[in-house]
Amino acid sequence: MTDTFSVLQRAQALLATGRAEQALTELSTLTANEVTSPYAMQLRCAALSRLDRWAEVGDAARAGLAASGPDPDLLLWLGRAEHEAGRDEAAERVLLDGLALAPHDVDLLCAYADLCLAHGQLDKAAKLVELAAARAPQAPVVYATRIQIAHARGDHREAQRISREFVGVHPENPAAHALLGGTSAARGQVDAAYEGFRQAAAARPTERAFAESAMELRVARHPLMLPLRPILRFGAIKTWLVAVALILLLRTAGLPVLAGLLGFAWLAYCVYSWVVPPLVRRWVLRMWR
Amino acid sequence: MHDELFSPTIRDRPPPGRPPWRPESIVYPAFFGGPLAGALLGVLNGRRLALPTGQLLVIAAAGLAGFAARLAVGVFADGNSGVRLSGTICGLLVWLAVLAIQRRPFRLAVLRGVDPANLIGPGIAAAVGCGLLEAALILVLVR
Repeated sequence: MTDTFSVLQRAQALLATGRAEQALTELSTLTANEVTSPYAMQLRCAALSRLDRWAEVGDAARAGLAASGPDPDLLLWLGRAEHEAGRDEAAERVLLDGLALAPHDVDLLCAYADLCLAHGQLDKAAKLVELAAARAPQAPVVYATRIQIAHARGDHREAQRISREFVGVHPENPAAHALLGGTSAARGQVDAAYEGFRQAAAARPTERAFAESAMELRVARHPLMLPLRPILRFGAIKTWLVAVALILLLRTAGLPVLAGLLGFAWLAYCVYSWVVPPLVRRWVLRMWR
Repeated sequence: MHDELFSPTIRDRPPPGRPPWRPESIVYPAFFGGPLAGALLGVLNGRRLALPTGQLLVIAAAGLAGFAARLAVGVFADGNSGVRLSGTICGLLVWLAVLAIQRRPFRLAVLRGVDPANLIGPGIAAAVGCGLLEAALILVLVR
């Protein structure tokens, strides 16, 4: 007979290093009785979620709840699975059931905040994450949710500031580096963004999203993409308004030829910004493979 | 306070239809096509983002107001360059209105994992179609 405790420990260690498939294999050696214990089910849900098999996460959480009764952690997984499946009303019910059992559970508060965020209820999401932050200000999930809320508000500077703090407190956490990469990218800081995703991908090579983002940023760092940096840095809106204002200014100043030239240069720049990025992407991907 | 936070507020949303376009990208057809192109794409994108009807009407009204302004320029200005220029400026103003309304819902859609749709085909079609329509209407109505 297998030693349940050591199986669970091995599965947890595999999961911590991002080897979700092997963790599932390890968990499958448990006997039918042990498999439905809340902790084994939680590990199973965590492993399945890493593999993006959310339908099975929901099934596993339901089986665990049926076998051992209400449990805040399993309700958390069921809520996340329902949210992933697009059944948000059900997800909310499940998360609120969990919060009724454990009103201060940081993960449940953040998962509920996430759900509210997806429905544009930013104020409620912020209040929920404040409650979580009062409990565990330095928990990774609290940082991640605060960053998402700042991002949804359009406050990229604040999002990047929180990501920096996250990386400072948890330098070993790949998600922290990935979020710093993402928030830097949102501010047009291509090099910092690449560095963030590179470190995230190095820390967890099994996570495809990190490698893909690092790849996208390698494209953005290509020399042919240098002329497009102003658009990335200042955003399309500001660059467009500045260009048009300049053209109009030249016209009203009685320099129609210069205005025409600038207009033509701007048109060429726009065409460049449509044509070159896909070509560079194809080129860089071919070099990669 | 807890009671209020922990009471349900989420409504299931209808299954996602077509993915929205990036509102920022509408600048190109609005710039080259004029206010009607910007407003048409803005309204279509607003439907993709499931915005309330009131906001769609605001975008449509902005487009019509932009076109009316162009007509006025056509009445009072000599030569074609003023009419052309007013098309560009009104197009950009309509785009700014679209942005003001759609930036946040678009960000939330991306946060939910929606991949934005490609605007190149519809954008060129709207810019050319609406641009020609505006030019024809201006010719017929005020020239």
